[in-house]
Amino acid sequence: MSDPGVPPSPARRTVPFRGGGFAPQSRSWISWATLVVVLGAWQGAVSGGLVSPIFLPSPWTILLALKSLIVSGELWRHLAASLSRIGLGWALGTMAGIVVGVMMGLFTSFRSGGIPMVSALYPIPKIALLPLFILWFGIGETPKIVTIGFGVFFATVIATFTGVDGVPRSLIRMGQSFGMPMFGIVRKILLPGALPGILAGFRISASTALLLVVSAEMVGAQLGIGSFVLSAGNLMQTDQLLAGVAVLSVLGLMIGLLLSRLEKWLLRWR
Amino acid sequence: MKARWWAACAAVVALLAAGHAQAADKIKIGVLKLVSSGPIFIAQEKGYFAAEGLDAELVYFEAAQPISVAAVSGDIDVGITGLTAGFYNLAGKGALKIVAAQSREEKGYHLNAYLASPAAYEAGLKSFKDFRGKSVAITQTGSTFHYSLGLLAEKYKFPLSENRLVALQSLPNMVSALKGNQVEALVIPATIAVPMIERGEAKLLGWVGDETPWQLGASFATPKTIAERRTLVTRYVSAYRKAAKDFYEAFLQMGPDGNPKNGPEAGALLAILSKFTGQTAENIRPGIPFVDPEARLLVDDIYHQVEWYQSQGLVDKAVEAKAIVDLSFVSGHFNVPK
Repeated sequence: MSDPGVPPSPARRTVPFRGGGFAPQSRSWISWATLVVVLGAWQGAVSGGLVSPIFLPSPWTILLALKSLIVSGELWRHLAASLSRIGLGWALGTMAGIVVGVMMGLFTSFRSGGIPMVSALYPIPKIALLPLFILWFGIGETPKIVTIGFGVFFATVIATFTGVDGVPRSLIRMGQSFGMPMFGIVRKILLPGALPGILAGFRISASTALLLVVSAEMVGAQLGIGSFVLSAGNLMQTDQLLAGVAVLSVLGLMIGLLLSRLEKWLLRWR
Repeated sequence: MKARWWAACAAVVALLAAGHAQAADKIKIGVLKLVSSGPIFIAQEKGYFAAEGLDAELVYFEAAQPISVAAVSGDIDVGITGLTAGFYNLAGKGALKIVAAQSREEKGYHLNAYLASPAAYEAGLKSFKDFRGKSVAITQTGSTFHYSLGLLAEKYKFPLSENRLVALQSLPNMVSALKGNQVEALVIPATIAVPMIERGEAKLLGWVGDETPWQLGASFATPKTIAERRTLVTRYVSAYRKAAKDFYEAFLQMGPDGNPKNGPEAGALLAILSKFTGQTAENIRPGIPFVDPEARLLVDDIYHQVEWYQSQGLVDKAVEAKAIVDLSFVSGHFNVPK
């Protein structure tokens, strides 16, 4: 009778190496190959008559539409208008968001008041408020920047507040025991500690700004990539529509790259 | 015994056959819940579609554009709505053909109004002669409002390019912009315009129909539907015309005072329109648009619409007006270009 508390000693056997896998890497040739295969299949389906070009224009016609936009110089005027709105709205929203987020991370009263406000206001669809926005801010640049700024603000508040919350309390206590003043703790411990979280929030808020540029330019915009996409949709110019969407995608990619650089530079101390 | 069995069988077969012959053909009609499609609702309610052997299903949409897209994709058989640049771009790719008229802007009938904000009115925008260079709210570029302004510019000889046309996507946004003095004028349906004028929120400059009559809307189908199920379209048009005649006699005959007068059936038809559009009868009556009793089109205006949109760069140059109208379903169309 064996003792149930003692496991039977296993027979000696060689164990094969079971490690490996679960470590996906990025191979740039696979990224490009995927893109080429998808575009090729798309072009083939349209050219081969499987899909009607009325429903889905081929990549080639989209490229031609893009080319004519570039040649006529229209693309740059639309981009300039949109980028200035995105830039300004994002900068204002981010600054306000970081300030409010840090306050919510630090003070009981801000946190108690702020969390329900953010939860209540963040999910409001901005489009539903457009008639009011027109009365409050008119139809010039202000409502467009405000629309983008609002979306960015809430995303940043949430990221900053969680970032500040995630800074190990032991580090703060250590600073306190060394007699660091409040401001020093915020500047040297809290902000650097929260920075990775805040930068991750930038990625979300930058995409939010791109998403919102279309709704921001619904109202009275003569120029802008969002208004271009909207009016192409209204006019059923599907090739132009998708050309505009492609421009938005490329913009998103470029902003992503820029943020990666910024992340590397700001977090070089890690 | 055997003979009786055969007789029973024959009776069953005959019954089935008769039932099959009487089963109505299904037709899906894409429509907006607006009075301009009034005859559709009347035809449905009074059984005119059923009398043509059609089992009509009305499919409701929120905007004009999706109706043409749904017709192309085969989700509906026939669409009826306002004509826009988007429609012509789609139709021009060989995807749609106009088969009959819907409503039109016509002298003496109040469908869409030009309004000025009280501030702009005080500042001198009192008639169309002062329209040059003013800012005007519209829903979208290439919309029916945009084309109305194009016709106005041609009539009063002002360059539309000098006007700031502000596309605000929806009627409530346009009203907001006028109230907040963000634009000086707008074009808007009578159902919204009349209460605004009465409340002193806007000044009436004039009516589109009085200034520039034009073919606002039409019924359309895909060339495939027309070629393969021609009788379906024929019966649809015939039921529509029967209802359009009722609509005309009830609401559109001119009285001695120069305003349209009510016919004997007006009350009953208003009730039908009210039921289908969800608006009150009092709200509907002042904005009842002109509908041709025979569903005849102003064909020259459709040609002009295509040319005008092309001149604005809103419709593809390859689109040919001749190719997107099928005039064979209705006789006596107006002003057919040679």
